[in-house]
Amino acid sequence: ADVTWQVPTSVPEGSPFYVNFLERFADNVDLLTSGRVEIEPFGAGVLVPALQVYDGVRDGIIQAGHSTPSYLVNQDPINAVFAGFPGGMGPEAYITWIYEDGGKEALYDLRASEGFKSLVVGIGSSEIMAHSNVPIKTAADLKGMKYRTSGPWAEVMREYFGAVPTVVPPGEIYTLLQRKGVDLIEWGPPSANLPEGFHEAAKYIIVPGVHQPTFLWEVVLKQETWDALDDDLKPLIEKAAEITTMEGLIHFYSADVKAMETYRSGKNEIITLDPAFVTELTDAGVDWITKKAEAEKEAGKPAMDELLTRYKAFEATWSAESKYLIRNQD
Amino acid sequence: MSVAAFMFPLLFVLVLTGIPIAFSLIVVSAGAGLLAFGPNAFGQLYGSFYSAATNFILSAIPMFVLMGAILERSGIAERLFRVMQIWLGRLPGGLAVATIAMGAVFAAAAGVVGAVEVMIGMMAIPAMQRYRYKNSLIAGTICAGGSLGTMIPPSVIAVMYAALAQISVGELLAGMMLPGLLMIVLFIAYLIIQGMIDPPEAVDFVDDVTTMSLRDKLWLTFTSMLPICALIFAVLGSLLAGIASPTEAAAVGAVGALLLCILYGRFSLPMLSESLKITVRISAMILLIVAAGTMFMGTFAANGGSRLIRDAVQAAGFGDAGMIVFFLLIVLLLGFVLDWTANVLICVPLFAPFIRQAGIDPVWFGTMAIIVIQTSYLTPPMASSIFYLKSIAPPDMTYGQMCRGVVPFILLQLATLAIVALFPALATWLPDQIVGF
Amino acid sequence: MTRLFAIVDGISLVLSRIADGVAIVLVTSMIFEVVARYIFSAPTIWAFDISYMCTGTLFILGAAYALREDAHVRIDFLAEKLPPRLRRGIEGVVFFFLLMPIFAGLSWFAINRALRAWTTAEVEMVSPWAPLMWPFYSLLALGLVALTLQVAVQGLRAFVGQTRSSFDLEA
Ligand code: NA
Ligand code: NA
Repeated sequence: ADVTWQVPTSVPEGSPFYVNFLERFADNVDLLTSGRVEIEPFGAGVLVPALQVYDGVRDGIIQAGHSTPSYLVNQDPINAVFAGFPGGMGPEAYITWIYEDGGKEALYDLRASEGFKSLVVGIGSSEIMAHSNVPIKTAADLKGMKYRTSGPWAEVMREYFGAVPTVVPPGEIYTLLQRKGVDLIEWGPPSANLPEGFHEAAKYIIVPGVHQPTFLWEVVLKQETWDALDDDLKPLIEKAAEITTMEGLIHFYSADVKAMETYRSGKNEIITLDPAFVTELTDAGVDWITKKAEAEKEAGKPAMDELLTRYKAFEATWSAESKYLIRNQD
Repeated sequence: MSVAAFMFPLLFVLVLTGIPIAFSLIVVSAGAGLLAFGPNAFGQLYGSFYSAATNFILSAIPMFVLMGAILERSGIAERLFRVMQIWLGRLPGGLAVATIAMGAVFAAAAGVVGAVEVMIGMMAIPAMQRYRYKNSLIAGTICAGGSLGTMIPPSVIAVMYAALAQISVGELLAGMMLPGLLMIVLFIAYLIIQGMIDPPEAVDFVDDVTTMSLRDKLWLTFTSMLPICALIFAVLGSLLAGIASPTEAAAVGAVGALLLCILYGRFSLPMLSESLKITVRISAMILLIVAAGTMFMGTFAANGGSRLIRDAVQAAGFGDAGMIVFFLLIVLLLGFVLDWTANVLICVPLFAPFIRQAGIDPVWFGTMAIIVIQTSYLTPPMASSIFYLKSIAPPDMTYGQMCRGVVPFILLQLATLAIVALFPALATWLPDQIVGF
Repeated sequence: MTRLFAIVDGISLVLSRIADGVAIVLVTSMIFEVVARYIFSAPTIWAFDISYMCTGTLFILGAAYALREDAHVRIDFLAEKLPPRLRRGIEGVVFFFLLMPIFAGLSWFAINRALRAWTTAEVEMVSPWAPLMWPFYSLLALGLVALTLQVAVQGLRAFVGQTRSSFDLEA
């Protein structure tokens, strides 16, 4: 290969995100560039700390890295719009916004301002809202419940529903859920939760994933690393990223419905929340991010508010006009 | 030949010239890092150091060490071993059996290896030395008892292994249970048989308790056993009842030990300060090895270490049995120098696809891999459990004695491995019965 | 030279005493979390961050003093057979000419990392508490600098023949 990049990601080697996003990207890049560019994937924590992939690229330790804007939300809340937030658009609408209606350009501009070239590599399906030891059917059921979650959802749960967000490190979630040390946990989409075994630790599975309707991963490089590439390679790598994202999402859909079937045929009870309750949760999430954007604006940083306005405008059109779509749901 | 292939021999040379393990690892990692990352190597090495320094799971280490240091000073261990001499006096090797039992009990509470070993070592070494046990037997018993934390659930290693191999955590934990019990039974059976042939106690310790009245014996037993049972109950119970996570259970243990110390009137500020000093010294030693091992893993991988192993497997064209043996040997070899986290991070993703493709039961293989990881802790010349023991061993206990002492236990672990290999049902039957709610 | 040794030893000792205190904070914060979560159903948002930061801090602040006390485990059954002068030579070269520059490089990066965390007001990535990270990065840098100094002193001591390691007794 003319160019070889060692690319670490923020999840362990072998996990669905790693295989479905990063390995698939490596294969697609190899295919489209006829082997001129080699992507060597690395799992979390081997080359750089799991959550510091962006820093690793910035410091020049690695040429490129794969991670998610979720990890940047604490530092700059505008990333929440790209990371997928509680009450936000689902994967269908979101991927359309990203590729067709301004989302991708907004993300790339944001990263360019940080000195990065970004490529969207991976958009995900909706997560499971909770594996739970208690049945949750109404807002009242959430009150006082210890819920392992993080990020915006933790704040929504505490402020709007009186639940008790609990911090549990990844290696101990299974044990604490099984021993009923926490009541509910959320982790990832159905197919990613299956190998974690949470369905063996707790009876109830709560859907839909209002808290994380979709999620986005990206590959970032320093702008100068990108500029140094042969010009004919750039569109090929960009196309490889795009194909990876499309294939990855479709693969998630396929694996997820099979995982749901596995859950349903086992000992679990799947609770699908009432539309009214879903609306209540959605509204709370949207209210949270709107207030966040306003607070940013008052602090002299209007970018998040402007982005959110464009995001909401697209979502409004999608919501109003997408009823023609056949969705095949019971 | 890749750089990765030279890292191990260089490391062995440094270690054998007497450079501390952690610093040997760092020298080799820095060399390999400079080759892979050039001037950015220090950033990469710092990242590995940072990963280790921010790993929450490792918090269990200082807390278990603190628990051991306090218990050692509380007089509880003395009383406990005196009670054992009353009741187990006629059982040769009773103290060694008790040490294994204690290791098993705290193994059930701890997920991390060095922690339990140092804790029970601090209590059991003085007791066994008082009865003139041979140093090699003392060392072997403590290393073996302390390493049980890997096999007895909850085990952080198993959780991480399962996540990386994409298999069920519950099934792997259940799969390890019978082999873990088998191992404990083998250890205890060995110690009893060995004790009957050649009683390890070199003093006749029954004498000083024959003059005690039954009433005094019972009272001493009650006042000694009750608190230690309460402590075990607090640690294990808080975990099983979902009150504390495995790491938090270690904190419960440390505070419990402190309360017992106060209860027995042994608490003083100098005593607490001394315990903290020991905690910091031993934790710094263990965690620097973990951090250095993480650096070693990162630079090993960046220099094509994984590819080296993967190519070797493909080139060799093993059958199923040959492949399993080869993989387990790699785990054993890496286990000599790497902390278990690094070992699992490198090996599991590498092996999992081959295992899946060959249709080998992943829970069975995982159970065997974890037995081997545990064995690698014990196997000289590079054995974490011996390193940790060295940090608390009395000066008259030599490295040679430690190495000799662990041999019987290594053989017993290999026997366990062989039994699991021949009878896969030992690992695969229980998960089918109990996983679920 | 002796004065330099004494100063570096003194720094290591002070940091390790601070580490003693950090161990208490570690246990206390975990117990606090258990009680708050189980009894009061009100888990903290900070206990997790405090715990891992305490563990990292206590280890790096204690590492230099552990070196001073020769507590970092070594395998010396073969090395004991080497002539003491040769062994001291190896120790001196490895510590002074290899490890000292390595730790100096690590310290340099660590200091810059702490400075960046300070200037950008960097916060924890995934914690709901989102604490500022510069204090923790600074403690890591401080520990690494102390370890660098102690590593250098360990090398110099080997050259002049006054390490605390067992092999000097034979020399
Ligand atoms: Na999640
Ligand atoms: Na365990």
